[in-house]
Amino acid sequence: MDRVIQFSNVSLAIGGRHILDDINIDIARGEFVAIVGPSGCGKTTLLRLLAGLAAPSSGEILLDGTPVRAPRQDVAVVFQDYGKALLPWRTASGNIALALEAMNVPRDQWPARIAELLATMGLERDGDKRPGEMSGGMQQRLQIARCLAQQPGVLLMDEPFGALDAITRQLLQDEVLALAERTGMTVFFVTHDLEEAIYLGNRVVALNASPGRVARTFPIDLPHPRDQLSTREHPTFLELRHDLFSFIKGGTGK
Amino acid sequence: MRAIWFFASLAFTACLIGLWQLASATGLASPIFLPAPTRVLDALVAGFSSGAMPAKLGATTARVFVGWALASLLGVALGALIGVSQRARIYIAPSLEFLRPLPVSALVPIFIGLLGYSEQMVLAVIAFGAFWPCLLSTIHGFSAVEPRLYEVSKVLGLSRWSMIRKIALPSALPDIIAGMRVGLTVSLILVVVGEILGSREGIGYDILLAQRAFKSPDLFAGIILLGLVGYASAIAIDWLESRLVRWR
Repeated sequence: MDRVIQFSNVSLAIGGRHILDDINIDIARGEFVAIVGPSGCGKTTLLRLLAGLAAPSSGEILLDGTPVRAPRQDVAVVFQDYGKALLPWRTASGNIALALEAMNVPRDQWPARIAELLATMGLERDGDKRPGEMSGGMQQRLQIARCLAQQPGVLLMDEPFGALDAITRQLLQDEVLALAERTGMTVFFVTHDLEEAIYLGNRVVALNASPGRVARTFPIDLPHPRDQLSTREHPTFLELRHDLFSFIKGGTGK
Repeated sequence: MRAIWFFASLAFTACLIGLWQLASATGLASPIFLPAPTRVLDALVAGFSSGAMPAKLGATTARVFVGWALASLLGVALGALIGVSQRARIYIAPSLEFLRPLPVSALVPIFIGLLGYSEQMVLAVIAFGAFWPCLLSTIHGFSAVEPRLYEVSKVLGLSRWSMIRKIALPSALPDIIAGMRVGLTVSLILVVVGEILGSREGIGYDILLAQRAFKSPDLFAGIILLGLVGYASAIAIDWLESRLVRWR
């Protein structure tokens, strides 16, 4: 297996409190892994470690075989709070330009790149709008577009659709799936929505709380491309949903 | 709608002047202390036609502007440094906390001792007073930058300098301008203090001389001119703010 991400014996303790305990997860290139677990289980912390925004107390996280010590430009992060993660004083185009500036893309290539990225996320007519003039869904699209400007090999998403309404959420789920398929990106998707995890993932990793531990891994054997109606009515989906829900409810699994 | 409000505010001003006229015409207040508005207007016209008033107005406005600009420059630079650097904060903050509550008027003798009764002394007094609001609001602006944006800049791989210039500074700008606005008000107060104590030619000093000579129309003329300088500078700051922080 072409391993991109490897958590090996990762633990994190802050002030004597164990947040994460002996996490071992291997993720293959192009895989879509959803991380679920009760609130406070450290799933967001796990993502922050992978992003290089925090360091584990022990163990190691390898990305393409190199240990993660700081954020890397080929790893993009979509934060849940799009309202805080975008620059309110810049237009949509300006927010994408921020990533291009960071990537040292020559300035004459910006207009074409920005137009292309806006179009990818369905924002082609909103380039001149500021985040304050956009809906929540549009702002999250913009944040994803800014991440795509990094041309990441790995996309980390931290409960990206948690604050959106149900219809917008489903639309964006399908767009992210299509995007991952098209680009071959590896996606590390943190969510508390179990159905979302099953719908999106090739694999769902369920964590236990205090300390956060990998409790169980569910391979998701559902046909691609996924469809909001037929996938969610698929017998396998219903079975997985049953297993995952009873597992989370019971705390230990069946 | 805006026109209606504009005329309403004009009417209100006219009413105030009318009451003033009434108070002096009926002898409610002695004309030695409260001259009629018409006499103040005469004093203004006389001052402007003789050419003395524009020179004084120019000198005072220039002092306000230079002192305030100096204070703003220093305040923003130091505030930004303290705002982004933990080390700078540790080194500088305690001294600043000692200096900050000192009343400027108490320091005027020191400025006079160092700089004499000079133009530089007046500018130093203004700059010292206007520096604090600017500094404090800049520090506040920089410390109030959304922490998520720092993470975004780390994840994007922005350099520290880019982060300061592209994220922290624009984010702090509304606070910085608010501080500069307060600094301008302080400058206007201190230009009068500075001119009076330093005997420098200007509107502030003129007010003192007029009061000593019991020339109340001249005194009021000076006050009105100072008010106009303040009003004009407030409009200028509003304009600057609307240009720079359009997104708010």
